[in-house]
Amino acid sequence: MNYFQPQTVGQAVNIAQTFEATFLAGGTDLVLHMQTGKIHPNAIIDLGKISELKEIKETDGYLEIGSMATFAELGQSELVFQKALALWLACQTMGSPQIRNQATLGGNLGNCSPAADGLPPLLALGAEVRLISREGDEVVSLETLLSRTPLLSQGTLIREFRIPLKGLQSGFAKLGRRKALAIARLSVAIAIELEDNRVGKVRVALGAVGKRAYLSEILARELSDQELNEVWIEKGIEGVQRVVREALGARASAPYKREAVSGVFREALGTFIPEGGTKV
Amino acid sequence: MNTTVVGSRVLREDAWGKVFGQTKFPADVNLPDQIYGVVVRSPYPHARVREISITQAMEMPGVVAVLSAKDVPHNSHGVLFRDQPVLADYIRMVGDPVAVVGAETLEIARAAAKLVQVDYELMPAVFDPEEAMLPEVLPLHPELCPTNILYHMPIRRGAMDKGWALADVVIEQDYRTQHIDHAFLQPEALLAYVDERGHMVVQTATQYAHYDRGEIAHALGLRFSQVQVKTLAVGGAFGGREDISLQIIAALMALKTLRPVKMENTREESFYSHSKRHPMRMHYKTGASKDGKLVAMEAKIIGDAGAYASWSINVLRKSAVHATGPYEIPNVSIDSYAVFTNNPFSGAMRGFGAAQTVLAYESQMDLLAKELKISPLEIRLRNHFRVGSTTATGQVLTSSVPLDQCLAKIAPYLQKGEDT
Amino acid sequence: MIEIKFVLNNKPCALNVEANERLLDVLRNRLGLMGTKEGCGEGECGACTVIIDGKTVNSCLVLAPQVDGCQITTIEGVGNRQSPHPVQKAFVQVGAVQCGFCTPGMVLSAKNLLDKNPQPNDKEIGVAMSGNLCRCTGYDKILRAVKLAAEEGKG
Ligand SMILES: Cc1cc2nc3c(=O)[nH]c(=O)nc-3n(C[C@H](O)[C@H](O)[C@H](O)COP(=O)(O)OP(=O)(O)OC[C@H]3O[C@@H](n4cnc5c(N)ncnc54)[C@H](O)[C@@H]3O)c2cc1C
Ligand code: FES
Ligand code: FES
Repeated sequence: MNYFQPQTVGQAVNIAQTFEATFLAGGTDLVLHMQTGKIHPNAIIDLGKISELKEIKETDGYLEIGSMATFAELGQSELVFQKALALWLACQTMGSPQIRNQATLGGNLGNCSPAADGLPPLLALGAEVRLISREGDEVVSLETLLSRTPLLSQGTLIREFRIPLKGLQSGFAKLGRRKALAIARLSVAIAIELEDNRVGKVRVALGAVGKRAYLSEILARELSDQELNEVWIEKGIEGVQRVVREALGARASAPYKREAVSGVFREALGTFIPEGGTKV
Repeated sequence: MNTTVVGSRVLREDAWGKVFGQTKFPADVNLPDQIYGVVVRSPYPHARVREISITQAMEMPGVVAVLSAKDVPHNSHGVLFRDQPVLADYIRMVGDPVAVVGAETLEIARAAAKLVQVDYELMPAVFDPEEAMLPEVLPLHPELCPTNILYHMPIRRGAMDKGWALADVVIEQDYRTQHIDHAFLQPEALLAYVDERGHMVVQTATQYAHYDRGEIAHALGLRFSQVQVKTLAVGGAFGGREDISLQIIAALMALKTLRPVKMENTREESFYSHSKRHPMRMHYKTGASKDGKLVAMEAKIIGDAGAYASWSINVLRKSAVHATGPYEIPNVSIDSYAVFTNNPFSGAMRGFGAAQTVLAYESQMDLLAKELKISPLEIRLRNHFRVGSTTATGQVLTSSVPLDQCLAKIAPYLQKGEDT
Repeated sequence: MIEIKFVLNNKPCALNVEANERLLDVLRNRLGLMGTKEGCGEGECGACTVIIDGKTVNSCLVLAPQVDGCQITTIEGVGNRQSPHPVQKAFVQVGAVQCGFCTPGMVLSAKNLLDKNPQPNDKEIGVAMSGNLCRCTGYDKILRAVKLAAEEGKG
């Protein structure tokens, strides 16, 4: 098997096309899949030496996160804490310290498991994704990207995530079987425009309820443009329970998740709303 | 008696080797020229092996040998009864070993294991122990017992009709516990070789080196004195290393090939192959008089032994003996059963049958207390064993029953709990 | 075969590896460093923890060519009987070692924490050790040992 360690994005994309090669980021999904025989790559392109893919920076109105930024780096980033709290929170509970040191946000999207912790926050925050292939650059909203099958065509590289800086308040919470090393049974990310006690636009994304993380349009509609108070929270809980019920149908985990989601939702709000629903 | 040892703190001598990573666990030892063994396991819970075709596997470069049931001189082992095959031609659970591949590298052995073709004749399987108990269900071990009921332990004390007559409140409930895996951190591993004396040496992690030695000798038709089992560091066991795992299979491969044989389970293989904690179904009926004294208890405990006996008899005996918990009850009727099913076999695990019944008898105590409108602590204080108490099995406790002290210590915490 | 060079326990090391070889297997089978353990092979247990460029990772999830140019510390590079690392001393003193299979990984996670943060609070210790499973001890003594090592480090 060929193994490449390109220094630039351009080289990586070229090799990917020529050799029908598979990108390797942190390897926390890929190495396992190779080990169990689920994937037999023709060749591997290790993205670890491309330093531009690791950058986390603010540029005119966007928080830009390179696809090779690890969960540990994101979880220790002051910038992410300030500008994208939901994502920062997701990075604290993802995997374990060892996994966070290896696993990247790009790999989280590339693997795209239903329970991927990075995706609900990015969806709620309205992130865009910059893709690069031999055909060129494409910037696409994550929401649109997640509706594609396959997610990425062969040889397409996830270059970076772009989170528009609109001053949103955001939060994230996940339900796992334990505190560390727990794949999400359910996760909720929420981002809202908040002025004084008035809620503007609301975006709620759910993880581990569908095949991929998704934004709930119904919840956005029902919860936007209202007064922030306990009634609003109750309405949110009721709505999110209904959405989960509809998404899961008669699946065995449905009753449990439907019940649990109310607590998870409240916890996700808890990061910017204190008990009682009024802002500090 | 004066001693400087009891009550003093000593450092574990073996801890040093462990903190430096020097301690040798069985996966850490190798010999030149060793081959690697990988087991082919049944994906079916109940089946007969019609035929095993090893041609394809043997054709793979690097494969040294593929062995199956017909290659085992005495194809059985087991802690209580030798009811478990070394390599099975009659499968009683998912994970039963049907063949072992020996190859020059682990990769080759794994790849070749996938090429071993096993033709299974599938049979109906039974997973529900209560169903398995029915007389019309075919027994999994007819040579051991005519039905799937491997063991029944009845305990009777006093007179039940008298007891129920005294009961002012009666609680009747069903309780269930699940399979639990020990998940000791070091998966099974070993190195087996024939040494310069012609003796079989097996280096492994086991709870039971002398028993392993006997089992290896029996299965391979060797004398005890020809088998040596060396216990290396044991990476956790908790009961899960009492039964034989890979020991005989590796020794067999070493004997047939005269090469050292290294075997290591993956975590998944480990889950498939060793015993589990017995899942239990417990039907409890407990009565108390108005003054909070237990007067009668009836319990039916069904332990799912799974496919093989292992320690089931001892485990379900222990469940029966502990079925009342640490409480004195004058009228008792307990029936404890160990039942064969096609589930993973159950065996020893921390508590050995005494752990499961706690769920039932302590829940009964709480429910009775609620019914009697006394505190959970109070009902226990009124009924717990003391010096002089007689247990359900008729044992008179003559010393060392400090439950009163224990309850006194935890009372403040219990009461705090009640306030909230 | 790919040629890789890295620094292993402060010594330079050059090796030819296959693209799909795991670092764990290279350490154990090629270099004979048996202190790094395999408990699950799936990133769940942390028994295979090593430190790469100042970060703990699970070597069962790292491909060997990924470590080209890196600094790697395994348990063999941390302390010895003559001069045990404070974490190792504390593990022995507190009795944080039972079967010992998790111990090398635990020691490395603890050492790396203290290298970064010599005075961690209880929560920080808990988080730092949360990627290492122990089936024997119940964790209490392990956490106490890390705390003790931190306190010893103060003096
Ligand atoms: C023990 C354990 C616990 C885990 N816990 C969690 C958890 O709590 N939450 C969670 O969300 N996930 C968890 N995971 C899953 C995994 O760690 C994440 O999905 C992680 O983000 C994957 O990133 P990576 O860098 O390791 O990706 P890799 O394994 O390197 O790659 C994953 C996939 O993405 C592709 N890819 C990677 N980068 C790019 C790129 N830039 N462009 C195009 N394609 C790319 C690869 O080809 C591959 O198909 C866990 C995994 C393990 C082993
Ligand atoms: S063996 Fe690597 S995490 Fe368990
Ligand atoms: S000491 Fe046995 S697993 Fe930790």
